[in-house]
Amino acid sequence: MSSWSEATARQRIAGLLDAGSFIEFLPPERRAVSPHLRELGQPAAFDDGVAVGRGTLDGQTVLIAAQEGAFMGGAVGEVHGAKITGLLERARTERPAAVLLLLESGGVRLHEANAGLIAVSEIMRAVLALRAAGVPVIVLNGGRYGVFGGMGITTCLCDTLIMSEEARLGLSGPEVIETTMGVEEFDAADRALVWRVTGGKNRTILGEATLVADSIDAFRAALVAAMQPKPLTLETLEAEHATLGNRLDRFGDMEDAVDIWAAMGIDNPQRLPLLDTDAFLQAVKGAGA
Amino acid sequence: MREWNRLGLNKAERMERGAALAQGKVVPPARIGELLAQVIESGDRVCIEGNNQKQADFLASALAGLDPAVVNDLHIVQSVLALPSHLDVFETGVASRLDFSFSGQQSARLARLLSAGQLRIGAIHTYLELFGRYFTDLTPRVSLVCAAAADAQGNLYTGGNTEDTPVIVEATAFRRGIVIAQVNEIVDHVPRVDIPGDWVDFVVQSPRPHYIEPLFTRDPAQISEIQVLMAMMAIKGIYAEYGVKRLNHGIGFDTAAIELLLPTYAESLGLRGKIATHWALNPHPALIPAIEAGFVESVHSFGSELGMEEYIRARPDVFFTGPDGSMRSNRALSQTAGLYACDMFIGSTLQIDLQGNSSTATLGRVSGFGGAPNMGSDARGRRHGTETWLRAGREAGTGTMPRGRKLVVQMVETFREHMAPAFVEKLDAWELAETAGLDLPPVMIYGDDVTHILTEEGIANLLLCQNEQEREQAIRGVAGYTPVGLARDKAMVENLRDRGVIRRPADLGVDPRDATRDLLAARSMKDLVHASGGLYDPPARFRSW
Repeated sequence: MSSWSEATARQRIAGLLDAGSFIEFLPPERRAVSPHLRELGQPAAFDDGVAVGRGTLDGQTVLIAAQEGAFMGGAVGEVHGAKITGLLERARTERPAAVLLLLESGGVRLHEANAGLIAVSEIMRAVLALRAAGVPVIVLNGGRYGVFGGMGITTCLCDTLIMSEEARLGLSGPEVIETTMGVEEFDAADRALVWRVTGGKNRTILGEATLVADSIDAFRAALVAAMQPKPLTLETLEAEHATLGNRLDRFGDMEDAVDIWAAMGIDNPQRLPLLDTDAFLQAVKGAGA
Repeated sequence: MREWNRLGLNKAERMERGAALAQGKVVPPARIGELLAQVIESGDRVCIEGNNQKQADFLASALAGLDPAVVNDLHIVQSVLALPSHLDVFETGVASRLDFSFSGQQSARLARLLSAGQLRIGAIHTYLELFGRYFTDLTPRVSLVCAAAADAQGNLYTGGNTEDTPVIVEATAFRRGIVIAQVNEIVDHVPRVDIPGDWVDFVVQSPRPHYIEPLFTRDPAQISEIQVLMAMMAIKGIYAEYGVKRLNHGIGFDTAAIELLLPTYAESLGLRGKIATHWALNPHPALIPAIEAGFVESVHSFGSELGMEEYIRARPDVFFTGPDGSMRSNRALSQTAGLYACDMFIGSTLQIDLQGNSSTATLGRVSGFGGAPNMGSDARGRRHGTETWLRAGREAGTGTMPRGRKLVVQMVETFREHMAPAFVEKLDAWELAETAGLDLPPVMIYGDDVTHILTEEGIANLLLCQNEQEREQAIRGVAGYTPVGLARDKAMVENLRDRGVIRRPADLGVDPRDATRDLLAARSMKDLVHASGGLYDPPARFRSW
C-alpha cells in the first residue's frame, strides 16, 4: 500500500519507520478499550482507535502515535487521549529525536463528553511541555477524514506540520460550520470549496504546512528533513501573533481561498487545485502570507 | 364518405388555437401554460421527455400547473419519471394513466399514489418496448421535448444528451401530433441539426437550463477490495475465457472496478485488443484509463455524462460525435446495439432467487427498470456468429441446430448494505406485484437469460447446469454465508466445482491477497482527471479539490 490516505494507522507506522523497529505500547491484545462506549452499547476497538509506541527512523529513536480514522473518524476519547498524553510525557524523560503524531481525527469523541474534552486539553498541555523541553513534535496529516476540532488546535501547537493535499486541517468541520452558521456561510456539500479552504494546498500557501504527495515515501522523505525543534520563546510567539494578525487584516473579509491566492499575487490561481504537488510548489514559490 | 385525415384536421384546429400565443414557432416562456391549455385536449396521450439524464423540467412543471377543470384524464407515456412534477400531474388530476419504464427517485411516491388510486399503470416497460409502442398503439398526441438550442425555424440541437428525443419526435410528428420543445437558448444557427425544424411545432426558451443528472459517475475512492477481487474474477474467468469484445456494463461500483482494472490487471494478462473493445455504454468517467491505454475502439452511448464533454470531443475515434465535435447519443439505437449486437451484459442487482431471477424492486417502491432488461436478455432472433456467442451456445447445448447465447452476468456481493442477503428464496417483487396491482412481478432479468452469477465466493456457470436442481445448487454454491448459501447440498456443490460449473477464485488462479486497491488504474476522481489529460471536468459534488 503506497498511498498514505488509504493506509491504516499501523500500515502508516510500518511504512514510515525502519523495518521491524516499531514496538507498540498498550497493544490491542491488552484490550485498553473505552469504558464509555460500552455503557452506550457502542462497538469498541481494542486499541481505542490509536496506536502508540517507539521505533527508529533512519536509525534515530522516535516515539510515535497514529490515529485510526476508520474507528469513529479518529475521535479522541478518554483512553485514546490518555495513550497520546502518556506518550508525550514519556518523551520528556526518554528524549527521543522527535515525537511523531500521525493524526486523523474529527476531534473530541462526543460520546465521551467531558472526559474527551479533558483528554484533548491534556494532550495540548503535554505538547507544550515537551516543546519547552526541546523535543520536536511533528504532525503528519494525510488521512481522508482530515484533522479538525481539538486535534486541529493541537496540530497548530506543534513544531512542524507535514500534510498532503488530500488532507484537511481546520477548527470546526465543514458540516459544523454549515449547521451553525448557515449554508451561505459555508456550503459543506461543495467539496471543491471545502478542499480549497481546508486542504493541504491552502495550508501550504498560508505558511502552515509542508506539502507532500499522498504517498508514505513522500511523508518519510519530508520527515527526515524536518526533525529539528523550532524555538519556543516569547519572541517567537510574538512574531507568530504578528503574522496571524497581519493575515487577518489582509484576508479576513475574503470569501474563498482563491481570493486569497489572487491577493498574494499568484498567477491564474484557479489552476492551483488541479496541479500535482511538484507543479503546485513551483507555481506558488515566492508567494507569502 | 369516410374522412381519412381526422388526425391532420384535429392538429390544424389545435395549431390555430396555439398560433396566437407564438411568434412563428417561438413561444414566450410566460405564455407556455396558456399554449399547453390550447393545444392539449382532455384524454390525450402526452409524452414528457423524461430521460435517464436530461429532463424537460420547464414543460413538465407547466403541464402540472394546468387547471384540471380544463385539461384532464391525460395518459402519460414517458420513459423515466425523475422529477416531482412528473407525478404532480396525477395528484392534481390533470393525468390519470401512465405507461413508463423507470421511476428512480420518485418510486416511493409513485407507490403511494398508486395505492391511493390516483393513477392507473398500463405497464412498466423496458425502454425498447415503450419506444416500440410509441409506433404502434401508444403514439403521443402531444410531446414535450428538451434540447440544448433551437433556431427560429424549430431546428433542434440536443448536444451530447440526444437520448430519447429522436424516437419521441419521430413517432409524434409523423402521426400528426404536436411537438413542443424547451431549449436552453434560441440562436440564429444551431451548431448541428439533431431534429429537423419541420418536425417541431413550437419552441420555448426555458428560464433555466434543463436539469441533467450525472448518473454514471462513480468515485474510484469508494471501490472496495472485494470489488477489486470480483473484477479480477470477471476478467480472468469470463472476459478472457470467452474473448468478450462487444459488451455493455451496468451502472455501479462493481463494473467500475472492472473498467479500472483493464489497463492494469487485464493488461498484465496480455488481454489488450482481445477483450472489451466495442461498447454500448454511457461515457463512464471510469472508462477513461482504459481508453487512454488503448483498450477501447468504440463507444456508442445512450446519453452523455456531465463533465465528459471536452474529453469526448477530443476522442472522436472512440465516441460517436457530430461534425460540430459534440457527442450524438441515442437511447433507442444504443439499446438496440446492447440487445442485438453485444455479446455480453454484466451488471449488479439487489436480489437473486434460486432460479436466477433478479430484481431491484423492493417493497414500497415502484421503480421499474433502466436499460438492464433489454441488454440483460438473450436476443432470440439473433443469428450472426461471434466466437463468444457461439461458445456460450455450445455450453448451453440445446438441440441439434447450432445456436449461440448471449452472456448475461449478474455480479453481486453475497451480502448487500445493512447485511441484507443478495440471495433469497423468494423475490420481494412478488409481494410488490400484489400490493401495487401489477400484472407481473417486476423482475429485471429473468433467470433463464442469466448465464453466470459472480460473487466473491466464485462464478456459477448456469449454462453448464443440466437440470433445475443443479442450477439451484450452483446458485447456492456461490451464495456464501447467506441462508440460501448455508442450505446448499455440500456434495452436489463439490461435484459442480469438480465439473467447472462453480469456479472459486483459487480455481481461476486468482489470489484474494492480490486484490488490493493498488490495482485500480485510478483511485480517486483526481486520478481520472489526470488520466484524461485535464479534459474531464467532474461536477463539484465529486471533487475534493
